[in-house]
Amino acid sequence: MPAMNLLTVLIFLPLVGVLALAFVPAEQKSLLRGVALLTSLATFGVALLVATGYDAKLSGWQFEAQAAWAPGLGFGYHVGLDGIALLLELLTAFLSPIVFLSSWKAIDGRVKLFTISLLALETAMLGTFAALDLVLFYVFWEAMLIPMYVLIGVFGSDNRIYATVKFFVFTFAGSVLMLIAILFLYTKTPAGSRTFDYVELMKVTLSASEQRWLFAAFAIAFAIKVPMFPLHTWLPDAHTEAPTAGSVILAGVLLKMGTFGFVRYALPLFPSAALEAQPIIGWLGVVGIVYGALMCMAQKDMKRLIAYSSVSHLGFVMLGLAALSPEAVTGAVYQMLNHGVSTGLLFLSIGFLYERRHTRAIEEYGGLAAVTPGIAAVFLIATLASVGLPTTNGFVGEFLILSGTFLSRAAHGEAMTIVAATGVILGAVYMLWLYQKVFFGPVKVPANAHLKDLSVREWVVALPLVVAIGYMGVMPGAFLDVLKTPVAALTQRLGGNGVVTPPRLFGTPPGGALRNGLGTFPQGTIRPFAPAPPPPPRKLEAAP
Amino acid sequence: MSTFNSADLLPLLPALLLVAGGSVLALGEVFLAGDKPERGHQAWLAAAFSLASLVAALWGGASAPHAIFGGAAVGNGFGSFIAAVVAGATLLASLSSAGWLKDAGAERGEFHALALFAAAGMDVLAVANDLLVLFIALEAMSLPLYALAAYRRRRRNVEAALKYFVLGSFSSAIFLMGAALCFGASGSTRLADIAAVAGPAVGVAPSAAALLVLAGAALVLVGLAFKVAAVPFHMWAPDVYAGSPAPVAGFMAGAVKAAGFAALVRVLIVAFGAPFGAVKAELWAPILGGLAFLTMLGGNLLAIPQRSVKRMLAYSSISHAGYVLVAVAAAGSSLSARGAALSAVLVYLAAYAVSVAGAFAVVAVVERGAEGDGVDDLSRFAGLARRSPFLGAAMAVFMLSLGGIPPTAGFVAKLYVFRSAVDAGLVPLAVAGILTSVAGAYYYLRVIVYVFMQPPETDAAPLAGTPAAVGLALALALAGVAVMGLAPDLVAAYAVASPLVAP
Repeated sequence: MPAMNLLTVLIFLPLVGVLALAFVPAEQKSLLRGVALLTSLATFGVALLVATGYDAKLSGWQFEAQAAWAPGLGFGYHVGLDGIALLLELLTAFLSPIVFLSSWKAIDGRVKLFTISLLALETAMLGTFAALDLVLFYVFWEAMLIPMYVLIGVFGSDNRIYATVKFFVFTFAGSVLMLIAILFLYTKTPAGSRTFDYVELMKVTLSASEQRWLFAAFAIAFAIKVPMFPLHTWLPDAHTEAPTAGSVILAGVLLKMGTFGFVRYALPLFPSAALEAQPIIGWLGVVGIVYGALMCMAQKDMKRLIAYSSVSHLGFVMLGLAALSPEAVTGAVYQMLNHGVSTGLLFLSIGFLYERRHTRAIEEYGGLAAVTPGIAAVFLIATLASVGLPTTNGFVGEFLILSGTFLSRAAHGEAMTIVAATGVILGAVYMLWLYQKVFFGPVKVPANAHLKDLSVREWVVALPLVVAIGYMGVMPGAFLDVLKTPVAALTQRLGGNGVVTPPRLFGTPPGGALRNGLGTFPQGTIRPFAPAPPPPPRKLEAAP
Repeated sequence: MSTFNSADLLPLLPALLLVAGGSVLALGEVFLAGDKPERGHQAWLAAAFSLASLVAALWGGASAPHAIFGGAAVGNGFGSFIAAVVAGATLLASLSSAGWLKDAGAERGEFHALALFAAAGMDVLAVANDLLVLFIALEAMSLPLYALAAYRRRRRNVEAALKYFVLGSFSSAIFLMGAALCFGASGSTRLADIAAVAGPAVGVAPSAAALLVLAGAALVLVGLAFKVAAVPFHMWAPDVYAGSPAPVAGFMAGAVKAAGFAALVRVLIVAFGAPFGAVKAELWAPILGGLAFLTMLGGNLLAIPQRSVKRMLAYSSISHAGYVLVAVAAAGSSLSARGAALSAVLVYLAAYAVSVAGAFAVVAVVERGAEGDGVDDLSRFAGLARRSPFLGAAMAVFMLSLGGIPPTAGFVAKLYVFRSAVDAGLVPLAVAGILTSVAGAYYYLRVIVYVFMQPPETDAAPLAGTPAAVGLALALALAGVAVMGLAPDLVAAYAVASPLVAP
C-alpha cells in the first residue's frame, strides 16, 4: 500500500478545492467557477486512476485504507472499494464536472456558496460509497444533507424552502433510525473489542427478531432515500424546485445512496430478515414502477414528470435487488448507473430549455425540433435511454432485471416481472408523449420561435453523457465484469447454494452458468417455478 | 475529624481563580473615576481569568481522585471537567457580552464580577460531596444569576429575574427539604454516609431509614430537575432566557446546565446510585428515563412554534437536558455501562455549552442596537448570511451542532449518549430520543432558512458590527464545535469519569 492511499485522495480532493475556494473573493465569479471545475476534473482523473488500478478478478476490498480516528468510541477511518462502489464512485466523479460546467451561466448570484456546497457534497458522496465503518458512513451520509439543503433552498425556484425542508426532514428522520440500529449492532460486537467496522459487523450473530428490527430500521432509511413507494413524496418537490445542478446530482447520485445502502448494508448485514422481506420490497418496487409511470402521465411540469419517472426507474432497481438472483442484482446495479446518466442528461436538457424560457410547463413548448435541433437531438437520446431502447444503456439494465427476476426463485418472481413489464410500456408512452409535446408539431408560443440552439459549452456538457449512454448500451461487458465478484458474494450470502438448476425457458447447458449474451454470470440459484425456498437459517454464521 | 490540608485547595484552584477575577473586577470599579472612563478592558480581563481557570481545570483533571476537606468535597476528573466546561462557557460569555454592554450603556465591572462569582459557585457544586456544601454552592451560583438576569433593569429583564428568583428559591427549598430528610435518616449530610443507609443488601426489604432516604432523594431530584430545567419543572426557562440579555442566557444555558447536571449526577450516583437492593435498576429506568422522555418530547415540541430565537433556544435547552438525562438514566440502570454513560454526560455538556454559547453570541450581535420585544424575532435573522457571511456561517454551524448533525460536536455528543443508552439496555428510550431529535432538525433548520434563504427585510437596520471580542468568542466556539466533531477522542480523553466516587 503506498503511503498516500489513492482512494483517500479521491474522497478528499474536492474538500481541498473547498479550502482553496474559501480564499477566493466572492466577487471573482469566473475564478470561483474555474477552481471548482478544475478540482472536479482532477477528481475525475483520480477516479479514472483508481478504476484502472482496480482488479476485477480479486474479491474483497481494494484501495483499502485504515486509520485510527476515535478508538475510544469504537470507530475509525476505514475505506475500501468493491466493484459496485467503484462504479458509483466513477459515476459521481463523472457527473460533477458536468454539473459545474452546466451551471456556468445559470448560477450567477452567490457563486461562492454554490461551488463550495457542490464540492463539499462531492466529498460526502464519494465518502459514503467508500466508507467501511458504519459511523464514518453515517457521517458522510448525513453530511450530504447539508450542501444539498443549501443547493435546493438557496438556488432553487419559487417553492424552494418548502421543498428543501421537506427533503431534509424526510431523510433525516429515516437516517436517525438507522443510527439507533448502528448503535445496537455495535453493542453486539464482542465486548472488549467493540467496533463499528463493517468487516467486523458482518461477523456478528443476530437472532431472527433482532435481524427483523435492524433490517427495518436500515431499510426505512434507505427506502426514503431511494425513494420507494410510499415514501417518495419528498422527491417530486425536491426535484422540481432544485436548480438543474441540484436535480442532476440528486437524480444521478443521491438516489443511488438508497439502493447502494440496500446492497452494501441492509441486505448482507441481516440476510434472514432480508429474505423474509423480499416479497414486500419486490412488490413495493413493482408498485413504484407502475405508480410512478401513471403519475408521469398526469404531469404538466417537465421536471416533476422526470421526478416521477425516477420513482418508476428506481422501482426497477429495487425489484432487481429483491429478486436476489445474480442477473437481477447485476441489472439493478447497472440500472443505478444508467439512471444516473440518462436522467442526468434529461435534467440537463430541461435545464437548457429552462435557461432559455424560464418555464418548466410542458404546454409552453412545442415544435422545438425545428428551432433547436441540437437540444432536440440530445433530449431524444436521453429519452430513448430512459425508455430502454436496445443499444442504449437502459435496455441492458431493464432486460437483466426483468429476466433475472423472472428466473429467480423469489416468491411471485414471475408475477412481479409481468406487472413490472407494463411499466416499460408505460415508460415509453409518457416519455414519447413528453417528447412529442415539446419538440414536434407547430411552434405554438411565439417566444419559442427564435430560441438559440446549444452553445459550445452546452455541447461539451451534453456530449460526455451521450457517449456514455451509447457506450454503456453497446459495450456493457467492462462494467458487468467488475460487478461479478461483489454480486456473487452478495447473492451467496443471501442463501445462494451455488447449485444451478438449468432454467427451462432459456435452455442453458446443464451444470453450466447462465449465458444471455451479455456475459457469463457466477453460479447462482436459478430455479424457475421451483417450490418455495427452504426457510432461512435462524442464526447466521460468519461470512465465508 | 476534618484536617485541613493546603493541598485540598488544589482542586478548587479553578474556582479560586474565578473569585480572584471577580474581586479584581468589582474592586477595580473604585479606581475608574471620571465621567466616562474607558471600560473596554473589563471583558478581556474577565476572559483572561476564565482562561486561567480553564487551564487550571484541565491541569487538575490529571490528578488521581481524592477526598478533600475531610470528605466534604472530592477532587477528581469529573469535577475538573465540569469546571473546564464552566470556565469555557464563562470565557465565551464574557467575550460575547462586550458589544452588548457598551450599547446598553451598562459596561460595568459588576457584570463580569457577578458572572465570575456565579461560575465559582458552579465549580464548587461540581466537587461537592456533601448535601450542605451542595446547597451552599447552589445558592452561590444562583444569587449572582438572578442579579445578572435583571442586569439591564428593563421591565422584561426584571420580570424574568423575579420569575427566576421565585422559582429558583422554591426549588432550593425543595432541595433543602430533601436534604433534611436524608439527614434525618442517616445522621449525616455526606453523600457516602447516606449511601450506606440507603443501600441494604440485595433481596432484603428496605428499612424505614432507607424509605426516608428514598423520599429525600425524590425531593432532591425535583430540586435539581428545576435547576437543569427538566420537564415538568421547566416553566421558568423560556421566560428567563428570553428576558435575559443574550450573553447571559448563553451563560445560563451552557454553564448552569453543566453545573446542575454535575450536582444531579453526583447526588444520584454517589448517594442513591446503589440503593434499594433488587429494585435499583427498575426504579432508575422509569423515573429518570420517564423524566428524560418527557423533557426531550416537551422541549422539542414546544420549540417548534417559537418565533423568538431566544425562546426557541430556551426550549431547545430543555430538550438538551433531556438528552443528558438519557445518559444519566443509563448510568443508573447498568453498572457495566456506567463509566461510558458518565463520559457521555460530560461530552454532551461540553458540546452543548460550546454550541449554545456560540448561538447566543450571534443573537447578541443581531440584537445590538435594537430595543423592544421583537429584537430576536426570526425575521431579524433574514438574510444574515448576506449581510455578514461570517455571522451567517457561524449561526448555521451552531444550529447544525445543536441539531446533532455530523460532522459537528453535537453529533458526537448524541452518539455518545445514545450509545450509552443502548449499552444499558434502554433501547426504547434511545429510539424515543432520536425520534424527538427530528423535530429539532426542523426548528434549527428554520433558523438556517432565514439566515441563508430569505432576503433581508427591506427596513432592516444595518448590523451594528461585530466587536473584536465577540468575533474571538465566535471563532473559539466554532473551533470547539469543529474539534469536538472531527476529533472526538481529544475531549473524550478528559471525560473518563469512572473515578466519580471518592474514597
